[in-house]
Amino acid sequence: MATSETGAEFTLDTAAELAAQEAGRGIEGKSPWLLAWRRLRRNWIGLLFLLVFVLIVAGCLLAPVYASHVSHQGVNDTNVGGTITVNGKKIDVVSSGGVTTGPNGEVKVKAGGVPIGPQWWHAGGRYVLGADSLGRDIATRILYGGENSLQVGIVSAAICAALSIFLALLAGYYGGAVDWIITRFFDLIWAFPVILLGIALGTALAINGFHHFGINLSGSSLWIPTFVISYVYIPYLARPLRGQILSLRQTEFVEAATAQGAGPFRIMFSELLPNIASTMLVLFTLIVANTILTEAALSFLGAGVQPPNPSWGTLISAGENTIQSAPWLGIAPGIAIVLTVLSLNIFGDALRDALDPRAKVRIEH
Amino acid sequence: MRSRKRWSSVLGAAAVLMALALVAAGCGSKKKSASSSKTSGKTFATLKVVWGDTDYMDPGLSYRLESWQLFQNIYEGLVVQKHAGGAASADIVPALASSMPTVNSAGTNYKFTLRKGLKYSNGKPIKASDFPATIARDFKMNSPGIGFYSNIVGSDACEKNPTSCSSISGIVADDSAGTVEVKLKKPQSDFMYVMSLPFSALVPAGTAAKPLTNPPPPGNGPYYMVSYQPHKSFTIKRNPFYKKDSIPTVPQGNPDQVVGNITDDLAASAQKVISKSADYDENLLPTDRLAQIQKKYGPQVKFFTTPSTYYFFMNQRTPPFNKLQARQAVNYAIDRNQLVKIRGGLGRTTQNFLPPTYPQYKKIDVYKLDLNKAKQLVQQSGTKGMKVTVYTIGDTEIDKATGEYLQGVLKSIGWNAGIRELAGGTYFTIVGNQATKAQIGFTDWFQDYPYPTDWFGVLEDGTKITNVHNNNNSNVNIPAVNKEIERLSHLPPAQASSTSTNDAWAKLDHDLMVKYATEVPYLNGLLTDFFSTRMDPGCDVSDNFYADFSQFCLK
Repeated sequence: MATSETGAEFTLDTAAELAAQEAGRGIEGKSPWLLAWRRLRRNWIGLLFLLVFVLIVAGCLLAPVYASHVSHQGVNDTNVGGTITVNGKKIDVVSSGGVTTGPNGEVKVKAGGVPIGPQWWHAGGRYVLGADSLGRDIATRILYGGENSLQVGIVSAAICAALSIFLALLAGYYGGAVDWIITRFFDLIWAFPVILLGIALGTALAINGFHHFGINLSGSSLWIPTFVISYVYIPYLARPLRGQILSLRQTEFVEAATAQGAGPFRIMFSELLPNIASTMLVLFTLIVANTILTEAALSFLGAGVQPPNPSWGTLISAGENTIQSAPWLGIAPGIAIVLTVLSLNIFGDALRDALDPRAKVRIEH
Repeated sequence: MRSRKRWSSVLGAAAVLMALALVAAGCGSKKKSASSSKTSGKTFATLKVVWGDTDYMDPGLSYRLESWQLFQNIYEGLVVQKHAGGAASADIVPALASSMPTVNSAGTNYKFTLRKGLKYSNGKPIKASDFPATIARDFKMNSPGIGFYSNIVGSDACEKNPTSCSSISGIVADDSAGTVEVKLKKPQSDFMYVMSLPFSALVPAGTAAKPLTNPPPPGNGPYYMVSYQPHKSFTIKRNPFYKKDSIPTVPQGNPDQVVGNITDDLAASAQKVISKSADYDENLLPTDRLAQIQKKYGPQVKFFTTPSTYYFFMNQRTPPFNKLQARQAVNYAIDRNQLVKIRGGLGRTTQNFLPPTYPQYKKIDVYKLDLNKAKQLVQQSGTKGMKVTVYTIGDTEIDKATGEYLQGVLKSIGWNAGIRELAGGTYFTIVGNQATKAQIGFTDWFQDYPYPTDWFGVLEDGTKITNVHNNNNSNVNIPAVNKEIERLSHLPPAQASSTSTNDAWAKLDHDLMVKYATEVPYLNGLLTDFFSTRMDPGCDVSDNFYADFSQFCLK
């Protein structure tokens, strides 16, 4: 918290704080990106959460190393009948059970099937966060699951951003009938709640895959949730961009470019696009957080990443049934999602403040 | 899953009934009145239960165990399966009929005589003509049970056009004499069991031929269904027109009223009993909490073996499972003990198709876990590296884990295995559709009645394969097997349950599972009954339709 430029006002607005701090300093001759970096590096909370995100990404990318050198178990390797040694004692990875018949014919059951809990480092790196009902290493699966979740989240956000920019540029630049058609397309997607549309598309495509236009994707391909999520978020990204382009279209520099004989595509990509880059960058970080959450939701509901491939959503789904007996199965991937989304949102806010302290860019639902 | 009941295809196989008649005769002589059972006479006001989801509360339409379990005290047939535990539960005893039917020497003509003075819960007298009307109503509603009646003379027209079925010439009722005569086209070994199914339970003539929900059709046993909210709740009360012990083979019942809460959530279901808001949990206890609940509540948890087999089907119409070596490979690669573990210990390993409760059962112990041999067999089959998709139910943790286990095993022996998890509600419809071309997957079978035709006739007879709703998921179609099933279903009455016939069924089991390796049976399931501390678990009698609520009693 700080006082504003005038020193008379007390505010909780980070953007205002940054603007105030910058007021007395010379900004002449500095590029907007340098100014933005100057603002960003002063926002230590934003940078801290960027570091958290980078660490999560690095951890997930190192999943194969963890699997081969620490847990010594592949992501989908089952070990129902296995044992591990903890403090010199052999214990079952999944507790044994079975049925015996007593001398009078009575049925005796020894309940089993309960997976081992977190071993931390007592088992030499094996089952650090415990096992699931098939004896698979939870820590390994969380790292691989994170890799899948981040891949789906980031790639779908990138595809969504590319399509949104293109459609927004077309709609904003040409206006008229082109704008009407494109905005009706946005309305059509917007008419369905994101999760509902995602479930419908994800489930339909997960059954038989996608085999059209020379593209062959099996039902279990990660590209299916990736494309589904990128599609459902298009209007959420494209609409604010279109609005900005509509206003930029009326500015002098566009008129100047037109007067110089620049064609539509040159104006769109050389004049308009750079001017929405900062907005795009901010929206991208926020949309990544949303796509990761959507992936988790769809996978939780069975319409996203298909088993046995893990994702944070499928891991939470698997942990839901054992929340009382083995809560770590659901809680651990839940914490991973919370940290990732929180870090992206806080960093996204920081980036917005840095790039344009007056901007109020946000994803509307 | 205990809840799964499926349409049994037409058991056109004919056979004899002598053994059943003998059983019946035996039962007649040692008939035990409900009033003399150890649980009787312990009446109490209200039993609160939590129950698995039901499909219909109409005996003409329901094909789900949760409903049948309730029906056994509400909707009675001319004969019923005995309300007793153990081997005696396979006995057929007269219910609405005053005695076992008289049967002609050819085994094609059955004559039943109705008990006198019986009334439905709405006060209407039970008449002989209600039986043909009941069967015609089944046809009119296109009931999943109509296939059971295809061997009755005159059923062809109704089968051809079920919704316009008004009567079947082979069923003759005489209200004044109180007799029902059923004429069969040819002998049918399991006919008395068919007559004991809820589809054969009498409802008043004139009952609307549409699914009746609230209220369901009037009861004819000691209880009736007062109200039923699908997927939510039900209330059962004593039939006000039922005179004490008027059907001696059906227990009089202890609770005056049963209030049921319906849910499929296993954890929530168990919690209701733990918190004492319910007296009995009909659902399976959640396996991850089984040890904990067992430790804390000890004798309040009861286990019972079910006549069920859990197995993996292997579609013999599609590669790689059209090759014998490929099917044998899966049998050698599966660790059945691990599958029992995945089910929380609630099962016994098996390599037989028939459950061990059958007199036709002869233990098969051929497949020793041998991954190297399995890999060799895959190699020999020439299918190594082939894409294989495992089908399983995705919304039940145990089934899901079972499917993922199988996928891991198939991958380890050389196939490129993937998995498709489907919702339980649509699973059997999808894998039972030939268009799906499901290669391999999870399935199970709980008996409709304790005779091998309910297994081999429905699940292994190639002549019964259908394009949709196919129960023979492996598409087993071996002419020699088909012929043998047919032969065993057409034996003279004296041989129906003879030692030589039982041996022949056992050989068929062995041939199918070993010589042809048609399926991968892995366990016979156990189910749980969980009682609150106010209930006496000693009164729990599990018959062929599982726990009989009418015999529950307080401590």
